Amino acid sequence: MLVYAARRILGMVVVLFAMSAVVFAAIHLLPGSVAHMVLGEYATADAVAALELKLGLRDPILVQYWRWLSGVLHGEFGQALSIDQPVARLIGGALERSAVLGGMSLLLVALMGIALGIHSAVHRGSLSDRVLTMMQYTLIAIPEFFWCTVAIIVFAVWLGWLPATGYTPLADAGLLQWLRHLILPVICLSLGLTAHVSRMVRSSMLEAIESRYVLAARAKGVPERLVLLRHALPNAMLPAITVLAIDAGILIGGIVVAETVFSFPGLGSLLMYAIQNHDIPLLQAGMLVVTAVYSLATLVADLASAMLNPRIRLGGAH
Amino acid sequence: MADILLDIQGLSLRYATANGPVTALDAVSLAIPRGGAMGLVGESGSGKSSMLLAMLGLLGKGAAVTADAARFDGQDLLKVAASLRGRRIGTVFQDPSAALNPALTIGMQVAEPLTLHRGMNWREAMERAEGLLAETGIHDPAAVLKAYPHQLSGGMKQRAVIAQALGCEPDLLLLDEPTTALDVTVEAQILDLLDALRARRGISLLLVSHNLGIVDRICDDLTVLYAGRVVEQGPCARVLAGPRHPYARGLMAAMPVISHAKQRLTSIEGNLPDLTLVDPGCNFAPRCPFAVPSCAEPQALAGEGDHRARCHRATETAALPWPEQDQARVSMEAAPERRPLLEARGMSRRFAGHGGLWRSLDWRGGWPKLAPRKSVVAVDDVTIEVRSGEVLGLVGESGSGKSTLGRLLLRLVPADAGQLEFGGTEVPLRPSSDFCQQAQIIFQNPDSALNPHHTVQEILKRPLELFGIAKGAAAGAEIDRLLDLVRLPRSYRTRYPHQMSGGEKQRIGIARALAGRPRFIVCDEAVSALDVSVQAAVLNLLSDLRAQFGLSYLFISHDIGVIAHISDRIAVMYRGAIVQQGEAAELLRGPHHPYTASLLSAVPVVGSARSQAGNRIRLAENAMAAPGEKGCSFASRCPQQLGSLCRTQVPAQRRLSNGVMMACHLPDAQLETVSLGLS
Amino acid sequence: MTAVAQKRRRRHVPLILVVGAAIVVCMVLIGLIGPWIAPYDPTMFAVRSRMQPPSGLHWFGTDEFGRDVLSRILAGGYYSLAMGFGATAISLIVGVPLGLMAAFYRGWVDDVIMRIIDLMISLPPILVGLLILAVTSPGLGKTIVAVGLVYVPIMTRLTRSVALSVLAQDFIEAAAARKEKTFYILWREVLPNVWPTIIVETSLRITFAILLGSALSFLGLGPQPPASEWGLMIAESRPFLDRAPWIGLAPGLCLCVLLVAVNFVGEGLRDLLDPRMQGRGHG
Repeated sequence: MLVYAARRILGMVVVLFAMSAVVFAAIHLLPGSVAHMVLGEYATADAVAALELKLGLRDPILVQYWRWLSGVLHGEFGQALSIDQPVARLIGGALERSAVLGGMSLLLVALMGIALGIHSAVHRGSLSDRVLTMMQYTLIAIPEFFWCTVAIIVFAVWLGWLPATGYTPLADAGLLQWLRHLILPVICLSLGLTAHVSRMVRSSMLEAIESRYVLAARAKGVPERLVLLRHALPNAMLPAITVLAIDAGILIGGIVVAETVFSFPGLGSLLMYAIQNHDIPLLQAGMLVVTAVYSLATLVADLASAMLNPRIRLGGAH
Repeated sequence: MADILLDIQGLSLRYATANGPVTALDAVSLAIPRGGAMGLVGESGSGKSSMLLAMLGLLGKGAAVTADAARFDGQDLLKVAASLRGRRIGTVFQDPSAALNPALTIGMQVAEPLTLHRGMNWREAMERAEGLLAETGIHDPAAVLKAYPHQLSGGMKQRAVIAQALGCEPDLLLLDEPTTALDVTVEAQILDLLDALRARRGISLLLVSHNLGIVDRICDDLTVLYAGRVVEQGPCARVLAGPRHPYARGLMAAMPVISHAKQRLTSIEGNLPDLTLVDPGCNFAPRCPFAVPSCAEPQALAGEGDHRARCHRATETAALPWPEQDQARVSMEAAPERRPLLEARGMSRRFAGHGGLWRSLDWRGGWPKLAPRKSVVAVDDVTIEVRSGEVLGLVGESGSGKSTLGRLLLRLVPADAGQLEFGGTEVPLRPSSDFCQQAQIIFQNPDSALNPHHTVQEILKRPLELFGIAKGAAAGAEIDRLLDLVRLPRSYRTRYPHQMSGGEKQRIGIARALAGRPRFIVCDEAVSALDVSVQAAVLNLLSDLRAQFGLSYLFISHDIGVIAHISDRIAVMYRGAIVQQGEAAELLRGPHHPYTASLLSAVPVVGSARSQAGNRIRLAENAMAAPGEKGCSFASRCPQQLGSLCRTQVPAQRRLSNGVMMACHLPDAQLETVSLGLS
Repeated sequence: MTAVAQKRRRRHVPLILVVGAAIVVCMVLIGLIGPWIAPYDPTMFAVRSRMQPPSGLHWFGTDEFGRDVLSRILAGGYYSLAMGFGATAISLIVGVPLGLMAAFYRGWVDDVIMRIIDLMISLPPILVGLLILAVTSPGLGKTIVAVGLVYVPIMTRLTRSVALSVLAQDFIEAAAARKEKTFYILWREVLPNVWPTIIVETSLRITFAILLGSALSFLGLGPQPPASEWGLMIAESRPFLDRAPWIGLAPGLCLCVLLVAVNFVGEGLRDLLDPRMQGRGHG
């Protein structure tokens, strides 16, 4: 298990290094000069030259990369170009708010998805299973930004129950106000993913229920409730964890969209801001942080399934 | 009769399918006295496993189980089955790897019924579980208690499954093919264990198996099922000594037996009936060589005393010889030329451990270093020859490397070392197309041997064209000839694999191998996946083809009965090395290498069951050799091991007085001979 | 039971497949001929009829420039379809051969391909799109390429895993025993057995390709105004949600109908072709 964990963590570090190189290379090697990107197409040659000098863009690309990377390794992401603030501080605050949004959504997705999936599998073929299945087929396909739009129209514009946009910090406005800003985005983000997770849990649970070891457990006289909880569920949870990790990646996409719609000051909004304002340092750092968060989520999922799976935990499969 | 524990009368099982209702079991009756053991025998599709699930009430919603009477110790079994499961009826399923929950420890799984049915707390239950594991012959029960299924060998897992079924001291143990997934030496140990349990606990057994030898070894009574109906029932000894129903007779005669190795096998033509159509008469009649029009009348289970058969002509036909339907077209006696066709010297093959560079990093000690890849020796310095026109039988257990050796001889797997000569010329690592045409292969699993997306015609035409044998219309004629050779109707050329039975698919696999007109064929467990009656037909076919075309086979099998039946010479393989090889008759007659002896003594043979049990050679648990010691590969399990000599020195091949080659340190006088009742 | 027997056994066509396919066919037709059947010029401004609610004249109302929403929707359906089918085609064309190669050659080829794939998959899907579209000027073609690249790893992995199981079958060894060429083995022996799984995955993938593509458009990183891509239309409607919700709701509903229908086709095909695969991952 320790070996496995060490291997996975080292793998993650390798991935992050590679990603830093890819992000950097994509921005600096693709057609179009960075300075032009920042200053716009009609910038004077002098202005471009001045900016390139200021940003060190005339140095060889590897030198630039090394300068950036060593900064990153010291937690130093540099100064944002479009706002006069350190990138690290901008990202730190945004990451915190996005983490709350993402964390709440993922928790909701995990709880609802697993519960509904188990319910469907256990009551396979029943009315509730069929209704849930149709809902899954439908909800998986509906984009978050549609839900966001509808939610604003219904709950903010028509009913006026909840704020359409914005965010208030927990410390300033208190729990209720804080939650009021989170409810709509969290629900909009969770609908599609819950459908997906419940679908996966249903199928892995069904597979477990139809296995020989569940038949063997019934032949031992184990009551049905324990058959499901003790024998089927642990085996069905493994694929569920993997699915949750995959969905964390989709969730990140959803967060970018939802933060834009709800004007939620998170990492997604910040990334979009960086793209629109051609703020290269901010963009690079933001992308790297998002990748790191996602890698971390995948790592946690892998370690969790390794903990649950004796084959990986103990190794030495026959 | 004395004290009947289980008495089932007229149990039927029906369920609905897309093609209409299926009658999987039709009025099956059987009775087991307290302490008795009943064997339930039949080929795949006979309904034998459904019978167990029907009795346990575990068949699920779609199935309708009815019975005139089903009494377990006086109670109505169909009503109270749920309360008996795990308490008074224990169950052991076929494949222990599938029957154990991969996420729970062995201890939890063995102790669980005790906590549920005996009201023990987990600590007490675990202690009791440890005792149960010890009782089933597990050496280190305390460690196994904490182990997960994937950490145990197949035999250990099956012992744990048996321990889990025994926990609540059931009166009846249901066993569904309990040893089918296991090697024959392990199977023998499990059968010994079942015998011992029966003697010690007075437990009753209902054993489902396709193997008559196992049933004879364990059971008192025998029920033969055919397509959901009991066709014959009675005491094992009497049924097996003189089967009355033609199906039971055919089944007996279809089994290759070591003691009558060269007898032609009886095969039963045709396929199982369609269970959606209920045949009021004898449902075996369409395949029965003795069938007469009156067989269409309903048949009753009848006979003298407790040996009964469902055939109104049983007494008449018992005296008649079995009419041979697939007469040998060519005499078997054509003496094969004895020139070597294929010679392999010093063949070796290692397989690298899993994973690429990344996984071969060694993490022990905190900092990764490149570790030498763990490699597994599959074939170790094997020298072997196959002569023109002969069948060399290669026998060994799973993991012995026999399939790899077969592929090495075809250059399908590149050898790490060794030379290969075919027809007197060296075969390079990348062989010529000519060699590929001359040396072909037949596979074990008919489902995987044929591409599901190709018709028979496409399958057979490809080698014809590739090897330049026939094109266009000539190819069509050649395909017809091939189908004739393997005794399939010519109309089969448009069929897809899924439209054929297992035996038919295997014949297409044979036809494909024959298409290039080869001289040498590797038959890799070519009959192992088939039911006994189909296996007999395919074995006969292979014998005939070999006589007709002067083919040479390397016939690979784990079943020494099959090997003894078909082979001219036999090679015995253990962990990558050939431990004994020689003329079949001489090798079987003995003296035997200790491993060959254990293999031979482990095979359950009909008729010799009781006498055999005492003589069984018991092997040590399958342990790996101590690191650094490289001696005889069999030393760690050998009952006659000579100590450090065996553990540190590889025994050389030596020739015994009867011409058989053997690799063993034991002096001739100490070599054992297993009595096989050879004629 | 064997894979073959399962595949060929009798089965009926699932209802959702029929319904989904019917809607998708209609949507494709609309996407193709939409611009010609549109009642108004989708780009024509009409200042006097701005933000009119749905009526007999303008079924879906008009937008903030007075353009007919229905006409814009009809003209824009093409974008979603192009993104869905185009991106999936790219992921197929790149991913399937890569997966086949990795499975067939094993060894270092497999290692190299799969490490690259691992790297690609360790980026959240939207980041790949953002990365490409942030540094080049956005447009339909680039969105298609970006979304296609996102799904290459999934196609590669799936193809590889199915191909590995096919390559382990004995009929492949029979082909090797005949000394068949690599191309024949992959084309004639492996691919026919891999297709059913890939077809199912492809049909499901189209849904997610449209989803991701429209999300990128919604973020302004797809087709640029005045294109009437539906995601973009929804984004542009946001300032007017309180006064003219139909501007965003109409294309949103159309997008949902399209997506749900495409997904129905995918799920239906899965039921039809590959019952054991029920519930594989997306992402």
